[in-house]
Amino acid sequence: MNFLVKKFRVVKAVALVTYKEWSAYRTHSMVSIFVGPVYFIVQYFIWSVVYSGKTSLNGMELSQMLTYFGVTTLIGYLTMDFADWNLQMLVRTGKFLTFALRPIHHRFFALSQKIGHRVLGFLFEFLPCLFIFVFIFKINMRPANFGWAIISVALAFLMNLYLNYTIGMTAFWLVQAAGVRRVYLLLQSIFSGGLIPLVFFPGALQKFLLFLPFQYVSYVPAMVYIGRYTLAGVSMPIPQVVGLQAIAVAVTAIISEYIYRLSMKRFTGVGA
Amino acid sequence: MLKKYIRIYIECIKISISTALTYRLNFLLDNFIMLVSNILFPLFTLLIYGSGAEFPNWTLYEVLLIQAVFTMSTGIANILFNGVLWATMRHIIEGSLEIVLIKPVDCLFFLTASTIEFSSIGLFLGGLVIFVVALPHIGPVSILMVLQFIVLFLSGVCVMMGISFIMAATSFKWVGNSRIPEIFESIKYFGRYPQNIFHKVISGFTSFIIPVAMVGYFPAASLLGKADATAFIAILPCFLFAMAGVFLFRHMIRLYEGVGG
Repeated sequence: MNFLVKKFRVVKAVALVTYKEWSAYRTHSMVSIFVGPVYFIVQYFIWSVVYSGKTSLNGMELSQMLTYFGVTTLIGYLTMDFADWNLQMLVRTGKFLTFALRPIHHRFFALSQKIGHRVLGFLFEFLPCLFIFVFIFKINMRPANFGWAIISVALAFLMNLYLNYTIGMTAFWLVQAAGVRRVYLLLQSIFSGGLIPLVFFPGALQKFLLFLPFQYVSYVPAMVYIGRYTLAGVSMPIPQVVGLQAIAVAVTAIISEYIYRLSMKRFTGVGA
Repeated sequence: MLKKYIRIYIECIKISISTALTYRLNFLLDNFIMLVSNILFPLFTLLIYGSGAEFPNWTLYEVLLIQAVFTMSTGIANILFNGVLWATMRHIIEGSLEIVLIKPVDCLFFLTASTIEFSSIGLFLGGLVIFVVALPHIGPVSILMVLQFIVLFLSGVCVMMGISFIMAATSFKWVGNSRIPEIFESIKYFGRYPQNIFHKVISGFTSFIIPVAMVGYFPAASLLGKADATAFIAILPCFLFAMAGVFLFRHMIRLYEGVGG
């Protein structure tokens, strides 16, 4: 119990400081209030035209498609992450040493930072855009099931952190991890479902995507939100998908921890 | 006067090339990744057409042509003007703009010339690849169409220049906001698709107010023989837009008060 109280105190302190630090730049977050809806308008017209004369494409109706893009945008604001950039910067400059000396796991610190940073995102990006989507664009943004949607988004939040953190750890070997990050971000932007629902990909690729971690970041929470999950012809009830997502998060966390321990053996702290 | 400016510009190009050659492996890798990621860019359109849907009255290759032209224009604009925003932003944050202001050349010209960067050549080549792929699948292209294309394409580059200068001017007030480009990135997004899919108010906006339709759509339409009077009327707003960028930047310099320089 004491252990949990201590952990909670750390989260609270780090999150609060991060929140305060970044709220100095809240207008930077508020750029999303313009950018998010503008991209959505483009998507709205594209899909309205594409659906003309068709009721469904790959099993999705127009209204579901618009909800999908609204939801992925909003989930993006809640799960956004730059742990990879941060970690590789700390390693490259040698500043990581100060974290290695602290009695907290750095990934836990990064998680706490992310919580603070995303609370800011919730207030200045998520809420304004949600209002615009619901009241101006009249998009149905009601989740099929509140409970499952919240759990799934929370899992996506963790998944994105663990994945990005693992990519950031390549800096322990490569020092300059910019190239790896770029390739990873490119793959993630395409295969997470942010570009287009994954059911639009060719069948063979969909089967492959079923086994990759990308879908759990964006596609899975979005489909849980809508209340219907299908990929590569496999349909699953929502509780089962969320269960699968939880397993994926756990596996990624274990892999991430394993690589972290290897990294600690490699880290020399030169340059600090 | 003009001769001096041309000489400075050529000198800056030479410096930029030699910088790129110093870190040539990094330069090549960067460009390769950029080229690949931009060949993937029309993926969204490919997947829509792949699923049996389409933009009415537009074949896949016609839409790809618009996106190829858009990417080529972005590539050229990035080489020529992209650095202005970052250089201005850095000078404002550090308070070192005075060093540029005391030089006996125009401030905006100097910032533009000294930040030419060839690292976006991969972007241009990526666009070119898609362009070459799409070209054989469209109807015959006459010499008149090619001339129209060149004029419209250059007007599109003017729009991109205007956008860069407006962004740089914004950074005088909105200090250190690295998300300024995202705002214009989102507006530019309209230029990547056939304009007839948008509501009239929006396509009016993208043709005449912030003429991003000129970046991709209009030049491509001229090669497809789909360019109407609107395309040519829209040339004027493009030049006005570029001028607006220059004037706005100059205005912000007049308001600039050096602190901490």
